Amino acid sequence: MIASMTNIVKRYGAHTALDHMNLSIAKGETLGLLGPNGAGKSTAIRVLTGLTGTDAGEAQLFGKKMKGNQPELKRRIGVVPQDLALYETLSAGDNLAYFGRLYGVKGAALKSRVAEVLDVLGLSDVAKKAPKKFSGGMKRRLNIGCAVMHKPELLILDEPTVGIDPQSRNHILDFIEQMAREGTTVIYTSHYMEEVARLCSRILIMDAGRVIAEGSVEEITRSVLFEETMTLEVKDPSPTLLDGIKNIQGVISCEADRGRLTIVSTAGAANMHRILELAMPYVVLGVTAHRPTLEDAFLALTGKKLRDGGEA
Amino acid sequence: MRFLSTFMMGFKYLWKDPVMVLVVIAFPIAIIFILGTALSNIFSTEVIFEPAPVAVVAEADSPLAMFLEYDAIQQFFIPEFTDFAQAEEKVAAGTVSAAFVDQGIGQPVLVLMPSHADHMAQIALTVIDSYQQIGAAATIAIMSGRDIFTLTGLEEVEITSQPLGIRTPGAMDYYAVTMIVMILLFTGLNGMELFHKGLFSETGSRMRLSPISKPALIGGLLAASTVTSFLQGMTTFIFTAVVYGVYWGERIPLVILTLFVMVLFSQALCILLIIIFEKKNVVGGITQTLFFVTTFVSGGYVPFNFGDLERIFRFAPNALAQTVVFGAIYGGDERWMAISLATLFGAAAVMMGLSFILGRRRFA
Repeated sequence: MIASMTNIVKRYGAHTALDHMNLSIAKGETLGLLGPNGAGKSTAIRVLTGLTGTDAGEAQLFGKKMKGNQPELKRRIGVVPQDLALYETLSAGDNLAYFGRLYGVKGAALKSRVAEVLDVLGLSDVAKKAPKKFSGGMKRRLNIGCAVMHKPELLILDEPTVGIDPQSRNHILDFIEQMAREGTTVIYTSHYMEEVARLCSRILIMDAGRVIAEGSVEEITRSVLFEETMTLEVKDPSPTLLDGIKNIQGVISCEADRGRLTIVSTAGAANMHRILELAMPYVVLGVTAHRPTLEDAFLALTGKKLRDGGEA
Repeated sequence: MRFLSTFMMGFKYLWKDPVMVLVVIAFPIAIIFILGTALSNIFSTEVIFEPAPVAVVAEADSPLAMFLEYDAIQQFFIPEFTDFAQAEEKVAAGTVSAAFVDQGIGQPVLVLMPSHADHMAQIALTVIDSYQQIGAAATIAIMSGRDIFTLTGLEEVEITSQPLGIRTPGAMDYYAVTMIVMILLFTGLNGMELFHKGLFSETGSRMRLSPISKPALIGGLLAASTVTSFLQGMTTFIFTAVVYGVYWGERIPLVILTLFVMVLFSQALCILLIIIFEKKNVVGGITQTLFFVTTFVSGGYVPFNFGDLERIFRFAPNALAQTVVFGAIYGGDERWMAISLATLFGAAAVMMGLSFILGRRRFA
């Protein structure tokens, strides 16, 4: 096991940031921590990396408890903090070189690694420029670059794509996928469902300091029962058709908007074939079944929207 | 290795910030330039003048007339003999700097001066005063043809008189020392941003997640800020010497060492306060207040006596540094200079030690 947290409790005054949280990640795995703002993702990372102590429980990295200054453990991890952690007046190259040196990279290896990271992150053209002149996306990329200069075994990224353009986001996600392919273990926190779904083989959904669901995207969505929604487009539907559908077992509602019927059934009703049988005499223009997403799962689990942490 | 990397990073970081460069270099020079120019002109000890015309109301063979015709006197005055009424008119019109009226042997010379007397009028008063101090004996001696005016009284009117081999500070000399000491005291504020960024904030977290040891991190940041601030002091030091000809004495190494210790003191204080209080605005408020107070008690002037507090004021950081620097330049009590420098360095060393101890505890 590369990292683990067992029954971690972390309180800030009366607020419980982590409430008996458990987490484990195996070598080569990409684990996603998904949750709204304030769910406890960043606190979990601070506890795991030893930046913050705990009120109860134990966190381990590479089989050792994180306590005090342990350079041998710190050399094996790379952390991308949520906020930018750069020296704005130094050039991009100088930032990378400095953080590389802190991890013991030096000489020709350092020079080569700086060039490599700049290239992979698409920053070669601005290597000599100071990040204070960069766009938000470029700063984010450099922020990641500083954490990977020493090729860490475990890379922890705390919402690395907040507030950036789609192009930079893609660049970052491609880079993380590449790191994962090369064998780096990754812990990725985000409140962007699609990023976590794309990158992570396993996901922990967090809310109010607790892990409320765990598994792959499919496992999590399957574990939550949803109402099923079907959209049927029919030419000139009659009131008889609408009444017939409403009478099918499991159908909760059937709303018509001209030729577009939106039919909501209870979870697992398995009544699509009956609905289609009733529609056979009509000209059917289209049928759409809505597939539940991670966002739906989160909504069902917490009653909150994922992006803003607000009530649904 | 990591200490050196952090030192180099900090040094570059500070010097690549245009605001910092402005504060570090341009601001001190601007202050000295603006006020220094004023001080140099107003309080200059060298006055350039030419002989000024004065009206003289006296008989041509009177002692006063003879006195004014003497060569040593004529380097100051060009006498114009006239009557009283014309003398008054000339003084009122400003065509002469003053008028001397002989009121007879044994009587004081009447000096007429304009209401806004220039420096030549002041010189005229001094000359006449010296004439009168010589008294009747001198007057009689002149009348008998004996030359006793071998500058016995005239030495008092030399404007640039200074004992040979001993230099006393002029206004600009004094100002340059106190200003540099004050500027260096405030340099801790330059390093505060670097300290805060490297120890706290997200960047600080990233540094603390790296394998760098706390002493290397704190030491590297402290060294970067100290060297930057010391260069600031040296720039101002050279500027005052070259542009204003400020006299820094013969013991330059001691002066520079004192300025370095002053920088160290300021940096150590700021990094200690940052580690204790974390918040920049709190530390900025404390240090600025402290620095203004110590600057004031070291060189400010108020028209009342602080009594025993004056002894405490001697241990204000500016006062300690100024004691050593002035002593090194103009000669001072060597024992007290050594105590001052040791006290300043000791305080800096204690604060640095505390910073390392508290830093290790805080970030453990």
